[in-house]
Amino acid sequence: MADLSQPHRQSPLAVLFLALKALGSIGLSQQLILLFFILTGALDGRLLPLVTAAVTLLTAVATLGWWRYTFQLIDDQLVVTKGIIRVDRLTVPFDRIQSISIDQQLLHRITGLVKVTVDTAGSDDAEFTIDALDRPLAEAFQRQTLAGRAAQRAAASNNLSTPTAHSDTHLGAASMDALLGGGQPRSADIGDDAGQVVLRHNVRRLVLTALTAPPWTALAVLGPLTAASDQLGDRLQERIPDVDLSGFVWWWIPIVLLAILIISIVTNFITVFTQHWDLTLRASPQALRRTSGLLSKSSRASSPTRVQMLRSRQNPLQRAVGLSTVGLASIGDGDLSLPGCDDRQVDQLRHLVDLPLSAALPLDQRIDRRQVYLAVRNTAVVIAATTAAGWWLVGRWSLLLTPLVLLRWAYVRRYVQTFRWSMSGPLATRSDVVMRVHELALPHKANAVRVTQTIFERRRDLAHLHLDTAAGTVTVGMIPVGLARDLRDRILLAAETDDRPWM
Amino acid sequence: MTLPPPSGPPTPSGALHPPGAPTAPLAPTEPFTNRPVLAADVEPLRDEHFIGLDRRYLLLSLGLVGAACAAAVVVTAVLAAMAGNRGLVLLLGGAALLLLAGLAVFTVASFRRWAYQLREHDVSVRRGVITLSVASVPYARVQHVSIRRGALERLAGLATVDVNSAGPDISIPGLPVHDAERVRQLITKRAGTGG
Repeated sequence: MADLSQPHRQSPLAVLFLALKALGSIGLSQQLILLFFILTGALDGRLLPLVTAAVTLLTAVATLGWWRYTFQLIDDQLVVTKGIIRVDRLTVPFDRIQSISIDQQLLHRITGLVKVTVDTAGSDDAEFTIDALDRPLAEAFQRQTLAGRAAQRAAASNNLSTPTAHSDTHLGAASMDALLGGGQPRSADIGDDAGQVVLRHNVRRLVLTALTAPPWTALAVLGPLTAASDQLGDRLQERIPDVDLSGFVWWWIPIVLLAILIISIVTNFITVFTQHWDLTLRASPQALRRTSGLLSKSSRASSPTRVQMLRSRQNPLQRAVGLSTVGLASIGDGDLSLPGCDDRQVDQLRHLVDLPLSAALPLDQRIDRRQVYLAVRNTAVVIAATTAAGWWLVGRWSLLLTPLVLLRWAYVRRYVQTFRWSMSGPLATRSDVVMRVHELALPHKANAVRVTQTIFERRRDLAHLHLDTAAGTVTVGMIPVGLARDLRDRILLAAETDDRPWM
Repeated sequence: MTLPPPSGPPTPSGALHPPGAPTAPLAPTEPFTNRPVLAADVEPLRDEHFIGLDRRYLLLSLGLVGAACAAAVVVTAVLAAMAGNRGLVLLLGGAALLLLAGLAVFTVASFRRWAYQLREHDVSVRRGVITLSVASVPYARVQHVSIRRGALERLAGLATVDVNSAGPDISIPGLPVHDAERVRQLITKRAGTGG
C-alpha cells in the first residue's frame, strides 16, 4: 500500500494536462486573434519558430508545475504543496472533507489516469482536485483519507455538548461584561460516504429537456448573421435569381422566425446532450454529487447541509410536459443545477435537503395589491421623464415609449395575482408571470434577516422581508409590517435554537 | 397542518434504477420534532432597545459636509472672478451649495436612524432614510468581526465595527473606541461558541 505520509506527485503525464490547462486559460479572444493572424498569413515564415518557442515554454512551465505539486497525508490533514515562484501550502483537516470522488474525463480515459475531487466544508470553494493520478494511488488516497476522517469524527463524537435553554433578552452595557465568558463547542456530525443514485436522466428525458428549453438561444448568432447578411443575401440571390431579394418583403418575417426557432432547437439539443448526457445525482448523508457530460464528464458536489436554498424554474413549455429546472444553491461553488426534473424528482430533491414536500406547503399568503399602483406609478414617472427628454431629441417618436407603462401594469398585475408565499416550515415563495419560479429556504439556514421599508411602505404600514442565506436571498415584499417583524423574530429564533447544522 | 416526513426516499420515475442498489434512507437520523412555536417563545426585537451612535459621528459627518461647502464657495468665487459668464458660474455654485445643504439634512436624518442592538444571540442594525432597513445577524452566523478607524475617526476617538457573515455584512459606525472593542469582543466570543 502506498505510504501517503510521504509527498507524492501526480503521474508524469500530468505535464500534458497542465500544458492544456495553460492553453485553455489563454482566452477565447486571444486564440481567435492568433487564428486570424495565421489564416491571413501575417505569421508566414515566423510561425514555426513561434510555435516551437511557445511549445517549449509551455512544456517547461508545465514540467516545473508538475515537479512542485505534491500531496501527502500527515497529522490528520491533507497537505498539498504547489507553486513555481510562490509556494502555496493548502492544509485541509480530515473532518472538513465531506467526500472524495474519482472521475475520468475524455483525456483521462485515453491516458489511463483519473482525477480525484475532494469536497470540503470550506466557505469559499466547495471542492478542489488532484489531477492526473494513477488509479491505484488515487484509490489508496481515497481509502486512507476517508479512514482518517472516520477515525477523527469518531473521536470528536465523544465531546458532545448539551444546548442550553434559549433566551434572547436585550443586553445592557453591564450585561456585555458578564457575557464575555466561555461557551461550549457544538457537536460534530458523523456519516459515511456511501452514494446512492437518486436521479438519472435517460435519452427521452434529455430530448424533452432540449425541446422545452427557451427557444431564443439563436439570438446569440443573430449579431454575426446580421453582420454577414449582405454576403448571405448575394449568395442567396445567385441561387434564386428569379426572386428579387434586394428589398424587404413581409414573408421574410415568418422565415426569419422559423430560422431562429430551428437554430434554437438545434443549439438546445447540442447544449443539452453535450452538457447533461447521463446526468446523474448520487446522494449520501454526507454528499450530493452531480455528474454529466458527453465528451468530458463534469462533476459538481455539495453536501445536503451546505445546500442553503432550493429554486425551481418552469417556463410554459416545461409546464406543459411537467418538467422543471431545479437549482440547489450551496455555499461556495457547489451549486447543483438539475434540468428536466419531474414533480416526483423535485419532491425527492426537497426531501434530500430536508425541505417539506410540495403537498405540505400551503402557499396561501398573498402580497398587497398596492404593489401594482406603486410599480406603475414609478414606471410612469420614468417613462414621462424619458419621453420628455426624448421629445427634445427625436420629436414625437419618443411617444412610442408610453405603451411600456401598460406593459408594466399588465406584468405587475399578473405578478401580484399569482405571487404566493408561506412560512409554515421553510420560507417559500412562488411567482408565475411567464416563468414559474419557486424559492424555498429553511429559517435555520438564515445568515441574516432584514425588514426593509420604502417611504411608500412606511406610510401604509407595509414592509419587505428578506431571508439571507449564504447562497441567496428569499424575499417577500409588500406584506404588513407587523407580520414581517413577527416572521423576522421567528426566523431568528429558528437560526439561534435549531441544532441542525446550517452548513 | 404539517405532514409527517415520508418513511423513505421516493423511487425516481422515468429514471434508470440500478439493480441491487442500497435502499437505506438518506434522511438524517436525529429524531424529528415539530412542536408549535408559541408567540410567547419568540422574543421580539424591540425598537426602544436600539442604541444610537455617538454624537461625535454626526459632528464629524457634518464637518465633512461643511468643508465641502466651504470648498464649493471658494471654487465658485475663484471661477466667478476668472470666468466671463459669472451668472452661470454663480448658478452652478448655488446648485452645488443647495445639494450640499440637502446632503447635510440627509446626514442628520441618517444619523437619527442609525442604531444597533445587541441581544444574547444576535446583533441588529437599523439604518436608512429613504429605505429603512433593520438587519439582524445571529452570532452563530458571524464569520469574523473587524474594527476600522479612518484618520478622522481616530481624531474623534471613534471606530466602525464591521460584522461579516456568509450573508450580507453589517456595519456599526460612530462607536467610541472602547465600546467598539467591547462589541467586537462580545460578538467574536459569542460567534465562537455558536451564539
